Amino acid sequence: MSSVTVNQAIVAELYTWRFLKWVLAICVAVVAVFPIWWMFNVVFADPGTPVSINPRLYPTSLSSGLSKIQIILMETPYLRAYFVTIGYALLTILGMLLIGSMAAFEFALFDFPGKRLLFGLVMLSLMVPTVVTIIPTYLLVAELGWLNTMQGLVVPGLASAFGLFLLVQFMRTLPREMIEAARLDGASHFKIYWYIALPLSRNAMVTLAILTFMKTWGNFAWPLIVAPKPEIYTVGQVVGLFNAPFSHQTVDVVMTANLLAVLPPLLFFLIFQRKIVEGIAMSGSKG
Amino acid sequence: MNARRHLPHYAMVLPFALLFAAFFLYPIISGFYYSFHDWNAATEARFIGLANYEAVLKSRDFARAMTNLGIYIAITVPLGIAVALALALLVDSFTGFWANFFRSAFFLPVVLPAFLAATIWRWMYAPNFGLVNMVLGWFGMPSVNFLNDTGTMLYALIAVDVWVSAGFNMVILLAGLKNIPQDLYEAARLDGASRLQQVRYVTIPMLAPILFFVVTYGFISALQVFDVPWLLTGSSFTAYGGRRNALLFPVMDMMGRAFGAVRFGEATAYGFILTFVIILFTAVMFGLRAWRTPK
Repeated sequence: MSSVTVNQAIVAELYTWRFLKWVLAICVAVVAVFPIWWMFNVVFADPGTPVSINPRLYPTSLSSGLSKIQIILMETPYLRAYFVTIGYALLTILGMLLIGSMAAFEFALFDFPGKRLLFGLVMLSLMVPTVVTIIPTYLLVAELGWLNTMQGLVVPGLASAFGLFLLVQFMRTLPREMIEAARLDGASHFKIYWYIALPLSRNAMVTLAILTFMKTWGNFAWPLIVAPKPEIYTVGQVVGLFNAPFSHQTVDVVMTANLLAVLPPLLFFLIFQRKIVEGIAMSGSKG
Repeated sequence: MNARRHLPHYAMVLPFALLFAAFFLYPIISGFYYSFHDWNAATEARFIGLANYEAVLKSRDFARAMTNLGIYIAITVPLGIAVALALALLVDSFTGFWANFFRSAFFLPVVLPAFLAATIWRWMYAPNFGLVNMVLGWFGMPSVNFLNDTGTMLYALIAVDVWVSAGFNMVILLAGLKNIPQDLYEAARLDGASRLQQVRYVTIPMLAPILFFVVTYGFISALQVFDVPWLLTGSSFTAYGGRRNALLFPVMDMMGRAFGAVRFGEATAYGFILTFVIILFTAVMFGLRAWRTPK
C-alpha cells in the first residue's frame, strides 16, 4: 500500500518537475531572444503608430522594412562603415591565421634554441589584461602615423597569443611520421608547412577564423580610439551615432541601423553554430 | 653551422615574434616609462616620479569607479555564473532537438556584439515607451528611468551583463557536464539523494576545474568592463560615467584621462594600477584553488 503511494508521489514529482522545466526553459528563451525579435519587428513594421501604443510583437510589413534598409544604405555612411568593418575583420583573420599558423607550426612540431623562452613569454601575455597595453599601443600607432588607417586597426591585433595557443594545441596532434616522410622525400621546410601542416589544421583554423570574426566585428574600444575619423568609422561607431541622444532619428530608423549590425554575426552563428560553440567550450576546458 | 640548421625555424617564427615584440612587449615597456612622466603627446615628457600614481589613487573619480566596480563585481560574477549553471543544467536535462534548440536560444545574446546589446537595452530601458517599463505598466507600476536614476543604474547594467554573458558561460559549463560519468548520478540516486543534492554533491565538485576557469575569467573581464556601461550612459571622452558617475568604471575613467583630458602619463599609470588589482585577484583565485584541492 504505502509503496504504491510513494510511487505515486515520485511520479507526480516527476511530472511537476518536467512541466516546470518546460515553463522555465521557454521563459528564459523568450527573455534571451525577445530583444532581438523586437528589433526585427520594429524594422519590419508600418511606420506611424508609436512604439508605446503598438509594442510590435510580430512583423507586419516587409516592404517598409526593406525601404528603411535601403534608405540607411543609400543615404547614410552606413555602407562604407560596413566595408571598413568587413575589411578590418577579413584582414585580421587572414593575417592572424598566416602569422599564427607559421609560428604554431614551429612551436608545436620542432625544437630550436630559444623556443621555450619565446613560447613561455607569449603564454604569459595571455595573463596580461588589455587595459595595460591599450593606451601605449595607441601611442605607438600614433607615432607610426597609422591613426585613422586600416593598418592601424589591423596590425596591432595580428600577433594573437590566444590564436597561437589554439593552433599550437591542435598542431601538436598532427602525425609526425608524415612530416618526417615528406622531409625524406626532399620537401623544403616551407613546403611541409604549406602542403601538409596547413591542410591538416583546417579545423582549428576555421574555428579560430570564426571566433576572430565575431571578436573584430564586435570590437568597440579599439576602433573608437584609433580610428576616430568618420571616413574610417566601423559599424560599431556608426551605430553609436544613430543611437546618440540627439541624433534626431526615429526609433525605426535607429533599429534598422542596429539590425544591419547584427546581421553578419547572426548569419555566421546560424551557419557555424557548432564550430562557435565548440570553440568556446574548448577555450574553457583548456584553461 | 648549428645556427644555419635552425634558420628555417626562426624564419617561420619571425613575423609573429616581431609583431609580438612591437605591439605587446614594447607598449608595456613604453607604458611603464610614460607612467612616471608628465606627458600630453605634444610637449616633451617630464619625469615626475610617482606623481601620476598618486594623482590617480587620490582622485575622487578613482574612488567612485572602484566603489562602483566593487559592488558590480560582487553581484554580477556570482549571479552570472549561478544563472549560467542553472541554464546549463536546464539544457542538459533535455535531449535531442530541444536540447539543441534551447542551447541555441540561450546562446543567442552572446552572438550580438556587446555594443549592440547595450544599444538595444538602452531602448528596452527607455522611460515610458521602453519595453521594460511597458511590462511594469501592465502591473500598474510607475515608469522608472532606469539609466538615469542613480539607484537603478548599476542594477540595469548588471541585468544586461548577465543577459549577455550567461550563454557564453553556459556553453563552457555544458561541455563540462557532458564529461561527468552518469554512474556517479546513479550511485547518488541509489543513496537517496534528491535532485538538488545531486547537483550539490556530484555536479558542482565534478565541475570544479571548469567553474574555477569561468569564475576567474569572469572576474578578469568584469574588472575591465567598458563597452556596455559606456554605451548605456551615452558617454563620450568629454562626458562619461552617467548621472553623478553612477556608472563610472575604472577603464572608462582611464580612457577619459587619456583621450579627454590628454594626460597620457596618468592614464598609463591607471592601467598599471588596474593590472596590479587584476593580478592580485588572479593570484588569490589560484591560491584558493591550490588550498581547496586535496593533495
